[in-house]
Amino acid sequence: MVVTSSLEHDLKPLLILCGLMSVLLPAISKAELYVVVIEGLAGDGVYAEQFATQVAAVTEASKTLTTDNRVYVFPARSVTREDVLDHFTTLGTQITASDRLAVYLIGHGSYDDYEYKFNIAGPDLTGDDLAQALSELPGGNQLVVNTSSASGALADALMNDERMLILATRSGAERHATKFGNYFAAALGDPGADLDKNQVISAGEAYRFAERQVDDYFERNGQLATEHSRIEGDRTDRFSLARLGASRPDRDDDVLAELIARREALNGQLDELRLSRDAMSAGDYQETLLQKLLELAQTENEIEAREGELGREN
Amino acid sequence: MRISREVAHHKIPSAAILVAMLIYLFAQSAANARDIHYGAIDDPQLHQCDQQYWRGLIQESTECYREILASNTTAAIKAESAWALNDLQQANRWFQQAMRETPDDVGTRTRWGDLYADSHQDGEAMDLYSEGLALEPNHAFAKLGAARVLAGGFDDAANILLEPLLSDATIDDGVRVGAWLLVARVALENSNQAEALAAMATAEEIINRHDWPPLQLYALRAAADLLQNKSESRWTTLSLEYNPHFGDIYAVPAHFYVITRRYRDAIDMYQKAVDIEPGLASAHEELGVNLLRDNQMTRARKHLETAHEVDPFSPIAVNTLRLLDSFTNFRLITDPQLAADSGEVPITLRLHKDEADVIAPYAIKLTRDSIDEFTRRYNFELSEGVVIEMYPDHEDFAVRTAGMPGIGILGATFGYVVAMDSPTARPAEHFQWGTTLWHEMAHVFTLEASDHLVPRWFSEGVSVFEEWRSGPNPGVRIPMSVYNAMKDDRFLPIAGLDEGFVRPTYDEQVIVSYMQAGLVCQFIDQRYGEKKLSELLYAYKDGLQTPEAIELVLEISPAQFDREFAAFVATEHGVILDNLEEWHETQIEISQLIDAADWQGTIESANRLLELLPVYTEPDSPYLALSLAEDELGNADAATAALENFWRNGGYDPDSLKELGRRFREDERTDDAIAVLMSSNLVDPFDEDLHGMLGELLLVRGRAEEALQEFTVALALDPHDKAVAHYRLATAHHDLGDKSRTQNHLLQALDVAPNYRPAQRLLLEVMQVDATN
Repeated sequence: MVVTSSLEHDLKPLLILCGLMSVLLPAISKAELYVVVIEGLAGDGVYAEQFATQVAAVTEASKTLTTDNRVYVFPARSVTREDVLDHFTTLGTQITASDRLAVYLIGHGSYDDYEYKFNIAGPDLTGDDLAQALSELPGGNQLVVNTSSASGALADALMNDERMLILATRSGAERHATKFGNYFAAALGDPGADLDKNQVISAGEAYRFAERQVDDYFERNGQLATEHSRIEGDRTDRFSLARLGASRPDRDDDVLAELIARREALNGQLDELRLSRDAMSAGDYQETLLQKLLELAQTENEIEAREGELGREN
Repeated sequence: MRISREVAHHKIPSAAILVAMLIYLFAQSAANARDIHYGAIDDPQLHQCDQQYWRGLIQESTECYREILASNTTAAIKAESAWALNDLQQANRWFQQAMRETPDDVGTRTRWGDLYADSHQDGEAMDLYSEGLALEPNHAFAKLGAARVLAGGFDDAANILLEPLLSDATIDDGVRVGAWLLVARVALENSNQAEALAAMATAEEIINRHDWPPLQLYALRAAADLLQNKSESRWTTLSLEYNPHFGDIYAVPAHFYVITRRYRDAIDMYQKAVDIEPGLASAHEELGVNLLRDNQMTRARKHLETAHEVDPFSPIAVNTLRLLDSFTNFRLITDPQLAADSGEVPITLRLHKDEADVIAPYAIKLTRDSIDEFTRRYNFELSEGVVIEMYPDHEDFAVRTAGMPGIGILGATFGYVVAMDSPTARPAEHFQWGTTLWHEMAHVFTLEASDHLVPRWFSEGVSVFEEWRSGPNPGVRIPMSVYNAMKDDRFLPIAGLDEGFVRPTYDEQVIVSYMQAGLVCQFIDQRYGEKKLSELLYAYKDGLQTPEAIELVLEISPAQFDREFAAFVATEHGVILDNLEEWHETQIEISQLIDAADWQGTIESANRLLELLPVYTEPDSPYLALSLAEDELGNADAATAALENFWRNGGYDPDSLKELGRRFREDERTDDAIAVLMSSNLVDPFDEDLHGMLGELLLVRGRAEEALQEFTVALALDPHDKAVAHYRLATAHHDLGDKSRTQNHLLQALDVAPNYRPAQRLLLEVMQVDATN
């Protein structure tokens, strides 16, 4: 984060950094992840089961990246608009500008051509409620995932330069109960969603996984698609939502630190190589790629070996 | 494209303007096909023109009709002349004027309806006949016109209209001739020679009495001769003497070759028809359609284009030409492993380009397996390559088969050409494409081994039986509706089994007939030995009909055969037939038990049904209910066993097969998992997960070549996780010792996911090997 300002004038290095961060952010960032999960009213048993499953999956996934006390869940049976808004007020006293916030809305939504409402007991949570609550929090590294029907209507209310949105529907006009949430929640624990195989599921990866599954669902069932998800914000590939497998323990070891630094550098060089691809001959690109990948693979071997040594020493 | 009753102008798509102009020029140049009207119009000048035309004096008749158009005769007669000159738009305008001048003239209104019927607009034609009959309820020509249209649509209502026209001797002779000729044609189509000949005799007497042209009668008589295997008919000679340009003398008999599936003979006949009457659009169209059935694409297109130029209103020509245009979206694929001098039958696939890479490997293997199996089984070697076409849009397949959308079949075989729905044309849970291909390949053999003389029932019976016996997903699968029909004693005698296919008398008779035919073949195979089926095939090739073939090959009378078959059915299926009511009641009960989450009750009821019919694997199979219930009670092994029984008895529900494959894999039953997932491929090859899972299992078993195929197909499906897809391909190539391809796919995997550890490790391994070498 510190180096960002010095690179702002040059897109290419920034992209390299972004690629690097996508691999390493969970390990090196000091920013904390805060998660708020709001479960809406289901209406019937089938949806109640689905929503509960999604909430559990999202909660479990979030806890792979942050401490339990930073994951706050509002179950459908007890959530009220007032509780949610109070929580955001409290959160404003805890969260810092460098922290990240992920807000999940899992349930049914509605849109009357004027206002989006997320259906909970008592007064519904409106788009304006959310917009105001989020805008009062420090920093802008916020992701809102809304899997409800008509959630596309939230885009206008919540969109800003920093905030990232993942919405199950294109607009408020798509009012059918959605499939998207099931697949998005599943993505957070599915290695198939981890396209870059860094053992971390980013918001962008989870979105693409769910989007594809929704498309497949309607195609395989021969149905007209009643929902078209949307994603807003250009940093969703860098917003990590879940880690697959166990995290590696932090080690205070110079050798290991050097190896990790080498790995980071190689990942950056690979990103740079990809950006240069069009300017290179296919042969040159393949040859350079092979060399870098071999170095990276060898470095990863050395990291594993060093971690093994340290484990044995302990 | 339709002509309009109400407006004088005609909407023609811009792309067709040039064609339309050509049509106009063509229409102006020569008289064209217009059916003999048997006195429906009484006008001396028109009569003179018609006589010339019917005698084949084309130039003279054309001049004659043009003179009428230039004269100050009535609009109705001018309409007839324009029609004879094939200027249908002009004819329509003259009929419109005639109706404005004499709206109560039912005769002219009926002829206007005939014009619409002639231009394939049956709805408009029927409206006009109805309007005529409203004005004059006993107008016989209007009734005849309506009957013709209804008969063309296989509507039984045609008989209601025809009956009085045949029985009332006071009716106009022209109508009676038309009616008897229609009866003769339908009787010939129904293989009822005696009725056809009697109808033709009656028509002939009237025609002779009035000295009307006998051409249509000759054509039907030539068709009757053809159906009695007399290829040289004296009626053809007489017709050519009467009118050397009457193409229907060949085209009408050719139709009977088509309906008896002798497509190449039909092609020859239609070619003769257009040779002597180049403007006969219907013959060009049929020639084109049948050339397509023989895979002669270029020649087919030429004749279809001619048909469309002459008769732009034919939906069959338009549909088929559009289909041919869409072939740019298809790829032709030949068996890549077939050496030029292998002596094997070449296989060519025509597959949609979006599906080709996924379907081709399985389709080629399945086709090759079927050829091997049926060559041995039916003692017949194919003499030409086989062409398999698969259409992702069912309506394209329908057009390919019949020229029109709206048919309900899954596949069709024309000889060496097979057309069928592709796996994506229907939901996988309702369509086993592999079994359908197997079924159609059996038709290739029964048609070709018998020179296309095999009756429908036997060809279908062998195909169904081979599905059950040797197909990719074997097992006797009989829908419950067919058991209901069996219980109601609705099976037909062997001598009349074809009737159930070509003239069904109740809703489900066709499917019942399919199953009966399959059971008959199963019975022959079991009771008399497998050679008897091929011997029957050769008996048909020698021209025998079913009763004689049964007597010759099985040495038993058809009646005795029927008795023995009934006993076989009672033995094989008696338990379920005796307990059918209980079956249905228990099925309903199972649904209720599942709804109530009464899993123990579900298990008991499902087991009770399986005692009655353990081979039932349709979508409502008790095995599936049993598996669900066992799972709900935590009995995973029992649930797996139920699924396994479902599969082994021929069940093909893709989700169930995939689930069974997963369970086998978890239970380390690798070979069983491979087998079940392979059969799943022949139901739903577009399941990306399935290919990955199957490929990995094959690798475990050291079957790297097959694994490579699965991983290649998985990549062709544009997988979400491309790193894994490329990594899997790398592992298969690695096992096959192909270092270059291994490295290539590893680079592609790591290009997407540089930190992908398994790929990194394999890359290091490969490069280390490289370095040591």
